[in-house]
Amino acid sequence: MNPIPHEFAISGVYLPPLLVAALLGVIAAVATTRLLNHYRLAKYFFYPPLVQLSLAVIYTVFIGTVFIRV
Amino acid sequence: MNLSRKAKEATKTALAITIAYGIALGMGWDRPYWAGFAVAFISLSTYGQSLNKAALRMAGTGMGIVMAFVLIALFSQERWLFMVGVSIWVGLCTYMMGGSQRAYFWNVAGLVCVIVCMDAGPSSTNAFSVAMLRAQETGLGILVYSLVASLLWPTRSGAQFAAAVNEFVAAQASLYEGCRDRVLGQSTAAQTHELSAQLRQARDRFQTLLAAADTDTYEVWALRAQWQTFQRQALALTISLARWRDTLEGIQDIDLAKVFPDLQELDDLLGQRFKGMAAMLANEPPAGDSAPLELAVDRAGFRALSAFERAEVTAARARWQEIEQLTRGLLAAIADIRDFNRIAVDSTPADSSPAPFFLDTDRLLSVFRVLLILWLAYLLWIYVPDLPGGTGVVSMACPLGMALASMPQVRVSKMFRPAMLSTLAASIIYIFIMPQLSSFLGLGTLLFISTFAIYYLFATPQQALGRVFGIAMFLSIASISNEQSYSFMVVASTAMMLPIVFLVLLVTAYIPFSPLPEKAFERLLRRYFRSSEYLLSTLGDWQQPLGSREHARQARQLREIATLPQKLAAWSRAIGPGLLPGGSPAATQQLVADLQALSFRIQELLSARDHQYPPSLIAALQADIRAWRLAIQQVFQRLSVDPSDLDRQAFQAGLAATIDHMEQQVRAALDQPEQGRISDEEGADFFQLLAAYRGVSVALGDYAGSVAPIDWPGWREERFA
Repeated sequence: MNPIPHEFAISGVYLPPLLVAALLGVIAAVATTRLLNHYRLAKYFFYPPLVQLSLAVIYTVFIGTVFIRV
Repeated sequence: MNLSRKAKEATKTALAITIAYGIALGMGWDRPYWAGFAVAFISLSTYGQSLNKAALRMAGTGMGIVMAFVLIALFSQERWLFMVGVSIWVGLCTYMMGGSQRAYFWNVAGLVCVIVCMDAGPSSTNAFSVAMLRAQETGLGILVYSLVASLLWPTRSGAQFAAAVNEFVAAQASLYEGCRDRVLGQSTAAQTHELSAQLRQARDRFQTLLAAADTDTYEVWALRAQWQTFQRQALALTISLARWRDTLEGIQDIDLAKVFPDLQELDDLLGQRFKGMAAMLANEPPAGDSAPLELAVDRAGFRALSAFERAEVTAARARWQEIEQLTRGLLAAIADIRDFNRIAVDSTPADSSPAPFFLDTDRLLSVFRVLLILWLAYLLWIYVPDLPGGTGVVSMACPLGMALASMPQVRVSKMFRPAMLSTLAASIIYIFIMPQLSSFLGLGTLLFISTFAIYYLFATPQQALGRVFGIAMFLSIASISNEQSYSFMVVASTAMMLPIVFLVLLVTAYIPFSPLPEKAFERLLRRYFRSSEYLLSTLGDWQQPLGSREHARQARQLREIATLPQKLAAWSRAIGPGLLPGGSPAATQQLVADLQALSFRIQELLSARDHQYPPSLIAALQADIRAWRLAIQQVFQRLSVDPSDLDRQAFQAGLAATIDHMEQQVRAALDQPEQGRISDEEGADFFQLLAAYRGVSVALGDYAGSVAPIDWPGWREERFA
């Protein structure tokens, strides 16, 4: 993969890499929280909204760093 | 050609939007989508309902514009003071939306002020033209829709209203018969609960259609004063029947025929009256005896009962007499409407005195949340450079926040999907279809087909979110104007703006309390028991009159316990069957019904406070009554901390022991020589007091039974929204 940060081009429309990473990060966070709800693991968290926000940030940074290279 | 109802309604709306656009473009007006919005949001199932909503929208638009002018004139150079002014107005509108019958007026007054302020505030030179444009386009949309709806398949409310009145009276008769059968042991509590729910639905439908028929049906408008009287009487009877239903349990084991020899006669009379009402509504000759009937008490039968049975039959008699009086008034009101003057109107009119003013806690919380949304969006616009959508973020977030304030049970995430899907569909039309059009013929056809499709595919009330977002996104993104241009930036900005707006809504959803329905349910339950505890504490010095401050506080808490069961019912529906193991709708609805009964009992207890009681009985029983009150107060205090902390068996065992003890005390007091001096009236008041105390205790026992099936630990677990 090209290590240089680059925009995503969809039919001539350029999207910033951070936007794509954030979008994927939010989707991954929603999927994780759904799973945690399903298996009733959310009860181990003190304040789930903050966890959800933190997960979105962690996933965004992870995806941006490892896959998209923001 | 036989079109379905939804096809006709969709055709009317689509045609009105197309014509409104045609006129606005022909007149050279900018932003014709405002006319489209007016059409889209006022179209309802009948002409009268639409006209009512249109009038509220027009008046709200006028009010919003005036307020926007005032704020721009006062603070055009002071952005923070300007925003404080906008916040005060929006807060007031949000608060008024919560309780007013004209909620839509306040909603539009708030959102129009924000739209004009955000549009014209940053550059106030065009404030007047923006505001005038908004007013004239709203007026155009209303005018066009009114004409289309009146000429094309006009649906007057008259027939629906007549059916709703019949249904309302029939539901009252059914609940009365259901309650009577329950007294005789021929029906169950679940059956009367179901009948009560049907009566509530019939009442709501009647009230909605009365306002609509008053607007579009001359026969109803001409008799509007008589219909208002009917409404007052019918609502009072509905409340009385609901209270009666909740207080039946105490008399089920008593042979009432021995106590009330005329009971069968009264029952026949009430049955005839309900039949007479239905007959007169069908324009048949008047029927039903309107002469008052006093339910006589057989002294020997009455004295044969225990003290608490006497208390219950005394309370039941009062309720029967109230129903007898209200049905008499209702019969007279219908006779007046149908011009059957042979029935004399001799009933006492229902109480119509205005309720005292108190600030409502839940509405204040809604105001807080809307203002938080407004300020967050405003600060984002000021401090985030090149924010997608610009002032549109504020103009969109505020109306959505106000909408959520009026329906707090709706989850923000539930709105996100229809909003994004609508944006996607509108974007496809904007990018791929609209550039191919070259005349209004093509554009008009596209407008008609798109609007028809949205209103036809999302016709049911459950699909309202899809319909609203569908039409709003389509008209916004299409951004039709005389100098039409196409830019991907329009789509991209809107697509980027929506997640920002929803992020603002999501962040504020948890402030100040969790939006999860089970958490909100438990929070309101705690508040209910805090109010109940306070109300019981006011009975401490029950022979001393309350001070004005205490009186006001008591009235406020009384309103809390009267309104909280309805709010809890709304939240209980949001909990849903699949959410948690203990969250079945039946369990929570039963709990809410028991709370409603408890509210009635507490109200009865407080109203019993003002009566005079025989001193000999008071002297003998004051200590016991006090101990009883303190025990109940303690239970309320515990429940205000943990609403599930009540063991039914232990509570009912304690209650049975208390009742036995009190029974002996009352008997001993009545056996005293002075008891001969107790008048019937004093005795009846005293037994009502006993019935009220017992009623509160029984209702608490029922509540304890309802909390048992609910999985409270599961409800208290944290989970993601």
